[in-house]
Amino acid sequence: MSGVQFDPAAIRELAKILRETDLTEIELVDKDARIRVARQITVQAVHATMAAPAAAPTATAPVAAIEAVSDAAHPGAVVSPMVGVAYLSPEPGAAPFVQLGARVAQGQTLLLIEAMKTFNQIRAPRAGVVARILIDPGSPVEYGEPLMIIE
Amino acid sequence: MFGKVLIANRGEIALRVHRACQEMGIQTVAVHSTADNTAMHVRLADESVCIGPPAARDSYLNMAAIISAAAITGADAIHPGYGFLSENANFAEMVEAHGMAFIGPSPAHIRMMGDKIAAKDAMRRLGVPLVPGSLGALETFEEARAVAEQILYPVLIKAAAGGGGRGMKVARGPDELEEAFRVARAESKAAFGDDSVYMEKYLDRPRHIEMQVMADNHGDVVHFGERDCSLQRRHQKLVEEAGSPVLSAAERDDLGAQVTTALRGLGYRNAGTLEFLWQDGQFSFIEMNTRLQVEHPVTEMVCNVDLVKEQVRIAAGERLGYTQDQVRFSGHAIECRITAEDPETFVPSPGRVDMYHAPGGLGVRVDSALYSGYTVPPHYDSLVAKLVVHGQTRAEAIARLKRALAEMVVSGIKTTLPLHQRIVADPEFQAGEYTIHWLEKFVSRGG
Repeated sequence: MSGVQFDPAAIRELAKILRETDLTEIELVDKDARIRVARQITVQAVHATMAAPAAAPTATAPVAAIEAVSDAAHPGAVVSPMVGVAYLSPEPGAAPFVQLGARVAQGQTLLLIEAMKTFNQIRAPRAGVVARILIDPGSPVEYGEPLMIIE
Repeated sequence: MFGKVLIANRGEIALRVHRACQEMGIQTVAVHSTADNTAMHVRLADESVCIGPPAARDSYLNMAAIISAAAITGADAIHPGYGFLSENANFAEMVEAHGMAFIGPSPAHIRMMGDKIAAKDAMRRLGVPLVPGSLGALETFEEARAVAEQILYPVLIKAAAGGGGRGMKVARGPDELEEAFRVARAESKAAFGDDSVYMEKYLDRPRHIEMQVMADNHGDVVHFGERDCSLQRRHQKLVEEAGSPVLSAAERDDLGAQVTTALRGLGYRNAGTLEFLWQDGQFSFIEMNTRLQVEHPVTEMVCNVDLVKEQVRIAAGERLGYTQDQVRFSGHAIECRITAEDPETFVPSPGRVDMYHAPGGLGVRVDSALYSGYTVPPHYDSLVAKLVVHGQTRAEAIARLKRALAEMVVSGIKTTLPLHQRIVADPEFQAGEYTIHWLEKFVSRGG
């Protein structure tokens, strides 16, 4: 099959991500192009969710949203209880509810999820430090999607 | 035409809708519970959105979550499949209020046919033959007794908010009437929140024969013939045939004409099925389903039509593009509903399917979301596959069905495959001699 364009560096990078994260399969879709890198383990892989193109600054190909098994399983993970659009600030232009590294109390509002024109406050299930913010403001989220890691 | 359709269902029908959309160049969005993360249609759909935990109430019946998922993915239309929200008029209205198309009938017709008394009323006024019975809800026991004396025993008391065989009590004589009436009301109130009941003559050996109709938004209506769904156990269909072994083409045309005239009069849109009881050559309307039915494939095989695509085209505003005389019936089709149940005790058997092999060959179709390694979740109904065969004659279809059933492998869980094999081998089934009571008797005698 001659003339098939692919980026060996991208494939090596994907393979590295597979090994480092214990995923078994990564699939990237960009219009007509599709790359899938997979390996056999006995663990069942969580498939990639919505294809939300988020252009990385130096990436040569747009990257589809990847849901790593490790994020959702993290003991400090705050997962979405609903489907909607996540916002990190109380209103556009305002400061975000929490910053990376901030200490939060149990019950403190971390972000908003908007669905059907109502805004729902997502609260910290326990006190801790915001270790990671996993979503971009204004991005759609599904039920069970990891939003933040509070350690 | 729609750019993106959200499939508000799961299992084999979600895969069915995905396939039709894919062939039409329409993007699909699969919404699913966490129990269905690895479902086949979720894997194949262009996008997927997890909408809730396993319980149907929190996922597939969760209207807000489904509408939100449609909003965030930019879906133009929602196909509700069958069951779940497919006959929920409020959901249909909500979909339309959010600027999306509901791929199905209008909310008003869904509501009308959901009320079994209103449905019969509408059909009576449109000239469709009915089972003799009360003209409306029975308010008092005295009223019930008066109607029973007029239509003669045995009689059936039915819940107006019921349907699908639920909420029915038989009274074979006047001494049974009072208890049947009171118990039916109480059960109806408990199950449906509404104690309205009505009465019908009880037919002792009817066949269940239903008519498939399709109407566009411009007033064109056609029928796609009948299906005989008499083989039922506890009001659940197991085997369906297109056409009925007992109807002639003339009888089909006749009933079809009555039905299409009625629906034209109603201004009905999209797919629908009118269910009748047939006894001694007479048809009696019992209810109408305002959605696609599980057994739609047998009609598709005989009429060479893709009913899901027709639903989508109609919802997008297209005309049918053909008239009744262009609908052709060719050969005979039979469907076996294969469920994840013990073939003798019917105890549910969810779990991991370690080996799945679908039969193939000319005239064989399998609609199933199974694959080797798939785990059938315990939270939903037990239908796992529909094996559909088509033959030039009923005899050929039966021979093909026997052969296909023998080839099919679903191992790791129990299924009703062996039961279907026994049904197909039975001389009465092969002769087409059965009524709606036949299968219960067959099962209880260990046939």
